[in-house]
Amino acid sequence: MCGIAGIMYKNSPGQDTGKALIDMLDGCQHRGPDSTGFALYEKAYDDQLRLRFFIGEGADAESAVERIRSELAKQEAELLEDEIIGNNYRVTVRFTGNLQHFSYAMEHNAKVISIGTSLEIVKDVGSAHDVDDRYHVSKFEGTHGLGHVRLATESDVKPEASHPFWATGFSDVAIVHNGQITNYWKMRRRLEQRDFQFTTDNDSELIAVYLADKLSQGVALKQALKTSIDDMDGTFSFLVSTSDEIGYAKDHLAAKPMIMYETDELVAIASEEVSLNRLFPGQALNTMEPPPGTYNTWSR
Amino acid sequence: MVALDLAELPVREVNERIREAGAAGDDVEILNPDARHHIGVGLIHPITVQVRGSAGYFCAGLSDQAHFEIEHNVGWGLGDNMYSGSVVVGGNAGAIPGVAIRGAEIVVRGNMGSRAGQVMKAGTLCCAGNANFMAGYMMYGGRIIILGDSGERVGEDMTSGDIFVAGKIGDLGSDAKLTDTDSAEIDDIREFLDRYEIPFNGSFQKIVNAGKKLRYGSSERQMRSIPFFTFSGDSDYWNPKVQEDLHIKSQIGRYRIRGYGGARALPHLSDLAFKKDLTNAGGDVDVVSKIEMYTELGGINGANPLKLSMPVMIAPMSYGALSASTKRAVGLASSLSGIAENTGEGGMSDAQRGAAKQLIFQMLGGRLGWNIHDMNRADGLEIYISQGAKPGLGGQLMAKKVTPELARIRGIPHGIDLRSPSRHPDILGADDLVIKVEELREATGYRLPVSVKLGAGRVRDDIKIAVKDGFDFIELDGMQGSTGAGSAEVIDHVGTPTLSAIIEAIDALEGIGRRQDIQLVLMGGIRDGVDAVKALALGADAVGFGTSTIIAGGCIACMQCHVGQCVTGIATQDPEHEARYDPEREAQNIHRFLESVRWQIAAITDALGHSSVSALNRDDLVAVTPEAARITGLEYAPEYRNGNTELDVRIA
Repeated sequence: MCGIAGIMYKNSPGQDTGKALIDMLDGCQHRGPDSTGFALYEKAYDDQLRLRFFIGEGADAESAVERIRSELAKQEAELLEDEIIGNNYRVTVRFTGNLQHFSYAMEHNAKVISIGTSLEIVKDVGSAHDVDDRYHVSKFEGTHGLGHVRLATESDVKPEASHPFWATGFSDVAIVHNGQITNYWKMRRRLEQRDFQFTTDNDSELIAVYLADKLSQGVALKQALKTSIDDMDGTFSFLVSTSDEIGYAKDHLAAKPMIMYETDELVAIASEEVSLNRLFPGQALNTMEPPPGTYNTWSR
Repeated sequence: MVALDLAELPVREVNERIREAGAAGDDVEILNPDARHHIGVGLIHPITVQVRGSAGYFCAGLSDQAHFEIEHNVGWGLGDNMYSGSVVVGGNAGAIPGVAIRGAEIVVRGNMGSRAGQVMKAGTLCCAGNANFMAGYMMYGGRIIILGDSGERVGEDMTSGDIFVAGKIGDLGSDAKLTDTDSAEIDDIREFLDRYEIPFNGSFQKIVNAGKKLRYGSSERQMRSIPFFTFSGDSDYWNPKVQEDLHIKSQIGRYRIRGYGGARALPHLSDLAFKKDLTNAGGDVDVVSKIEMYTELGGINGANPLKLSMPVMIAPMSYGALSASTKRAVGLASSLSGIAENTGEGGMSDAQRGAAKQLIFQMLGGRLGWNIHDMNRADGLEIYISQGAKPGLGGQLMAKKVTPELARIRGIPHGIDLRSPSRHPDILGADDLVIKVEELREATGYRLPVSVKLGAGRVRDDIKIAVKDGFDFIELDGMQGSTGAGSAEVIDHVGTPTLSAIIEAIDALEGIGRRQDIQLVLMGGIRDGVDAVKALALGADAVGFGTSTIIAGGCIACMQCHVGQCVTGIATQDPEHEARYDPEREAQNIHRFLESVRWQIAAITDALGHSSVSALNRDDLVAVTPEAARITGLEYAPEYRNGNTELDVRIA
């Protein structure tokens, strides 16, 4: 029930990634008018983590900030910077401990949107331009990113139910997904048996955790995507990103659209070609529709 | 040549200009298309449209006679439902190119996406590159030519038509087989390739339907005559219905099909009562003229609304399930009573169009009989997702009823047991659906209301999708709805009762604050004006009558609709049986029934103290069973059951 987009600039140190994703999502906003989100990657600082939280407004926000600060202190994360943007609280910390334990502890005290050395997720209700107005996504210069527009059905129109999803417990892994994983509970139970925690009932979070788990075991992203196609049932087209890679996977039935365009400078992938064309107005692009049951990755 | 620049003009305006150019005999070139959707949909003139770049979804869709040349790529649904004309694509095509075409020529010089030619009926789809998987999925006729490789599951569940593959065949789909080619058809292909200047000298393999799935060896035996009252009786054990079922299954060895409605007792509108004493309702002979009943449907987004003299319409029923005479009678009755009729599946005949002053044209997944010309002469368009009697399943029309004329209208081979697809080729989610709705609007110039027919299943989610995708109204069909043919188990055991459906629908819309953005028509076992008023009071904007109109017009409820030998001439295509049906007389009978509905609606509305049907509300109702109270959230008031003298005391 949505549209997805992703872009990676292969060589340059930083481009208008935010602006490019806004354009691509605006091009396919008809696929999902309820909420819009972005996963954005900047240059990484090794010993620093950026965290984003939903804190709500007014008194809720104040108490959430307090809880977050005290938990950060408890977890021995040194607070370097913090700011409130819209209903987000964004902090930069120095942290060297066990990231999975740290993120579960934070998750128990606040609504975490993302944790990463280079990843920041920005998502909220409204269109790509609405979210940009609130969070200034267009000012974001980076190397790569993902985007998502959502039409809400099963779950409510809430900022925390919008995409992209962060792989809870793992830094820098984000996902955008169009489709439905039908063996969700089976897959989730398997991961829960191994002490992974889920913060939503959303199948996109499952894919993110599934892939991040593989990555943490030293499996290459490409290989993890390959096994995901066999392990996940349902119809899906999804994009995944890490601090230095971007990839896609598409199920065997290819019921969910996906189209890509690649040059020496960039690779861009979207639900519809009209989104890709937004990056190159007036040009006929040599695009490619990934065949059913395929996957690929790009890195920089 | 008229040049139209999509960097300057929106698609809607460009499409209007293309139509004007077509009518004036001019050709058109489209600049800066940038993969936008719906370019050139709904054209009905022999115009040439040159697209200078890439086009998006449904390029050339719903057109007849037009010629398209697209320089680069196209998105999903190229040439959707084209009747004649041609399309040449210089680059690649996305999924389902040539979906549901009825006779055009489509050439893709690059590769094409999955499910090429799904449910196509006639014409040629030619791909110079490779085709992705499931080419020819559920095709009913015509020809697919693939010069490269075919991908997997080619010809999956095809009914008829030919697929020629020059390259490697991934594997054959279900019910498809390889067969020999003859020189005449190869010569014909070469002529086609020459005409489109595609150099090719290789040889072909040919794939056709293997004939194993859609033709049963043994036909289903007719049922013993069990009166419906016995059939729907309370005993769950070895009653006559169960015995009959076992006997027939022991003969045919498969699931059963039957017609008519569900036979299980379910919570329904009769489990509700009005909160006032209606003893004197209708005492006023002029009550009909005093109650405001006029209802407009489908105009909330700017389309020309249906104009109903009362909040009632005819439920969708197909010419196919019903005889032409019956469709004529229902259509005439709808005109006499000033309400709207609906084509159901399977196309619009001139007779239907002539009989009904207001006619909704229904589009199903098989696109049987769907076309731009009948869209243009309809008063509303409707996308069927499912129906209450068998939510999630496609239609069934047994071979006995697939006459040569019906086969011609629907574009299918004569004599097959027709199983309509349960899914639309181009609607695999809410995100695709919104693009489809827009295509129908673009093709008809935004004049017509576009509605969605939903069988009650996952009502809350489906209703939210319907309003978010911008439909003008919803026809919500509960489990008590009937069908011309459906799996017997499904009719009785699958779905959501009509009473629950309306409550869930209203809750869903109010839950997201969108009740005012869509209208809701409730159907599924609505029997009379009393049911109608209850449905309106629960929140429906109008109700649909199906089975009740058929019964009013002579149906004897024998439940043999699927067999095709209906003795009353209603559910049959056999001229001998149909001759017994007098459409003019039955139209009067149906009309009189509808007028009785009008009178009941007026009398009850009046007795409840309202002057307009729009004032009916939940406060007018109570529930007389615990189940209905639980479902509706209405007060449980068993004292309102019929014949309870306490009621009189209470009111006094």
